[in-house]
Amino acid sequence: MRAYFSVFRMRLRMETQYRGAMIGGIVCQVFFGLILVALYRALYAGNPQPVPIEHVATYVWLQQSFFRMLTSTDPDLLDKIRNGNISYDLCRPVSMYWFYYVRAMAQKLMGSMMRGIPMLIFASLLPKGWGLEPPASPAGLVLALAALVPGFLCMCALANLTMGITMRTLDPRGISAMLDLLMISFSGNILPLTLFPDSWQRVLSLLPYAQLLDAPIRLYTGEYAPIEALRILSVQIVWAAILIGLGKGLWNANRRRLIVQGG
Amino acid sequence: MSYIEVNGLKKTFTVRKKREKGKLFREKQTVEALKGVSFSVEKGELVGYIGPNGAGKSTTVKILSGILTPDGGEALVGGRVPWLERREYVKHIGVVFGQRSQLWWDVPIVDSFSLLKDIYRLSAADYESRLKELTEALQLEEFLRTPLRLLSLGQRMRAELCGSLLHRPELLFLDEPTIGLDAVSKLALRDFLKWENAEHGTTIMLTTHDMEDIAALCSRVMVLGHGQKLYDGTLPELLEKFDTVRTVSVKYDGALPDIKLPEGISFERGENELSITYAPSVFPTAKLLATLQEAGRISEMTLQPENIDRLIAAMYKEMDL
Amino acid sequence: MMNTLKLYVKSMGMLIRSHMQYTSSFIMQMLAQLVMEGGEMMAVILVVDRFGSLKQWTGGNLFFFFGMMSVSFYTTEIFGRGITGNFPSMVRSGQLDTLLIRPRTIFFQVLCSGTDPRRITCIAVGVASLIMGSAMSGVVWSLPKALALAESILMSCMLILGLFLIEAIFSIHSVKSVELVNAITYGGRSACQYPIDVYPGPLKVLFTVVAPFALTMHVPAAYILGKPLYGWPAWTAFVTPLSGAAVLAVMIVLFNRGMRFYRSTGS
Repeated sequence: MRAYFSVFRMRLRMETQYRGAMIGGIVCQVFFGLILVALYRALYAGNPQPVPIEHVATYVWLQQSFFRMLTSTDPDLLDKIRNGNISYDLCRPVSMYWFYYVRAMAQKLMGSMMRGIPMLIFASLLPKGWGLEPPASPAGLVLALAALVPGFLCMCALANLTMGITMRTLDPRGISAMLDLLMISFSGNILPLTLFPDSWQRVLSLLPYAQLLDAPIRLYTGEYAPIEALRILSVQIVWAAILIGLGKGLWNANRRRLIVQGG
Repeated sequence: MSYIEVNGLKKTFTVRKKREKGKLFREKQTVEALKGVSFSVEKGELVGYIGPNGAGKSTTVKILSGILTPDGGEALVGGRVPWLERREYVKHIGVVFGQRSQLWWDVPIVDSFSLLKDIYRLSAADYESRLKELTEALQLEEFLRTPLRLLSLGQRMRAELCGSLLHRPELLFLDEPTIGLDAVSKLALRDFLKWENAEHGTTIMLTTHDMEDIAALCSRVMVLGHGQKLYDGTLPELLEKFDTVRTVSVKYDGALPDIKLPEGISFERGENELSITYAPSVFPTAKLLATLQEAGRISEMTLQPENIDRLIAAMYKEMDL
Repeated sequence: MMNTLKLYVKSMGMLIRSHMQYTSSFIMQMLAQLVMEGGEMMAVILVVDRFGSLKQWTGGNLFFFFGMMSVSFYTTEIFGRGITGNFPSMVRSGQLDTLLIRPRTIFFQVLCSGTDPRRITCIAVGVASLIMGSAMSGVVWSLPKALALAESILMSCMLILGLFLIEAIFSIHSVKSVELVNAITYGGRSACQYPIDVYPGPLKVLFTVVAPFALTMHVPAAYILGKPLYGWPAWTAFVTPLSGAAVLAVMIVLFNRGMRFYRSTGS
């Protein structure tokens, strides 16, 4: 346990180092957010929708702010997979799954906090209909924050699952690019899930991708009433357990395969 | 007027220091890579350029091959200023970087050569005859259809040489060409360079850490340190001037005896080995040997010449750098 | 000139053969690209499904705009990968040194140093979107319209190459600013796959004056669709795209100036 904690701390410190890249990243992400909101505003003009534009803008800003939680991958781990050194790690006596899980947690948490919080402050200063709206209700805010926890666990589990699959294939780039695409499409980053066709939404909201950010955001904007929270949180927790289970199973299988094949 | 004329060449780099705690921006620091280096080289000369890491060797080569612009000083090579008309100038030179490939990694080397033919706008006849000559001299015929990545380091270096000589440059720069090569490859490379120099009168300037490269090839050697030229002359003279100390290691049968050596001679006591550094001009070798023999029965003894690093270090000391 | 063109074609041929050395990986990545660009197009289809139209532009119009951007952007990636992808790492690794000792311009050699043939599937998606958009919008094709399309794509490629040169210039000065530059390149791609007139003033100015996608892409596309942008006359569809060449020319000049400050790394 202590080992995992120190890995976590070390990784946090590393994330705070690249200040220049961070500022550039914030500017870029804010710019993408502005473009998207401008586009949705133009689309709304003349085509009013059941979901108000203020919610869509809020959705966009929350997605953009936590973008790093979704996509940031561990470059060291990727390198190790690419050059094959991962075999040394997998054959160590400690659970490498949790080792990298904790690293992912630190990286995603710090990366998105350092970028996300300034962005959220910026977005809340924008005029109404452009920026971040306050939460629908105090209960909504509390539940959204609560839902972010299992969502975050799902994200880290998905990252490790992707890595586990990547280890299996000879060429990691193709497969991980496709998995990333699935992730950013169905988590609502490219297009808010609330704007997908209604029939799709029923299915999409049950997929693991919707548990990451979509569910907390909808609790925040009030699209999911606080009364539904229990159901939503249960779905999230079930997914977190499934994803972690799958990931651990895959990593263990990879490890056995390595030992059998001798690397 | 010599073929290469270098006068007071200066180059400073700005490096950014690591950001200190609590400061938003990193501070800058300037490093003087060359502090006014001057020399001249005649056409057809084979010159060695030595010095420790960070001495400014590569910077000089990069300036003379048009890659970098100096901050001060002049350089004329064959009447041209390297960094002013880079494109015209580089037609007449060839450069081989020991640690950097200039050929294409995944394609047969002959395809790389054929692309170089177009890059240098060579006529088909010139290209064919030169390629034939070089592949024979470098024994590359059987590898022509092999992708670069499948060649050994020695074969790769030969291919690099072939690529940089296809356009018949008057001047060839070699930046640590023998780095990492095995003995056979080193010897072959040296033979080839001698041949190219004799056959075509190509002026060759090479930087190296390998004193044997210099001994085998260069009639003249320049030593660079801390951005300044420390020595310019023949290798034997350099050795005579600075190679003043020798190291002897002796092993004795049984325990190491107590030896009384005169002042000024340093020695290190190993477990059953004694290593002594001395200056033959001060304490004659014969006298030392006599002292050592008196002390006990010598089972093994080796006399080592100075290596380049100690030599340079001795030079620094003498030049008060 | 002929020699230069021949050299470019030969370099490209060689790079493609290099890629083909790893066939299965290449095919896999091509498929991944197809899925990715397909996903981008899917987003537009979903937008059209949900909203029907974007101000005066119909769904078919939107597919046409998307196709223009897709084809231009990925054509640039295929032919200009040296600039759009490789250059910063060439500076970092010192590989740029090996180009400086050749009797050709650096810009041209960098262009010859990379290609990304996997993007061909992205272009296929873009072409499909163009065809779909043109059919749904009922475009009656004529020679001038075909010329306008060709000119627009060519000029947009030049513009995109020019914008990527900004990153190249930054990397010569060892400024790590990839994400900042991405705002203008990838941000431009995202924003300008929809017509410029839907955006508020500042974004309009940015993408008309600074990174003139509106001029190279939207003015001719609107002309082809028969809905001239801002009611501008037809000849503007042939003149405004030239701004792409202008941006590229300026950037090449700045790039060459920047090369003077190049300090090679390594020993």
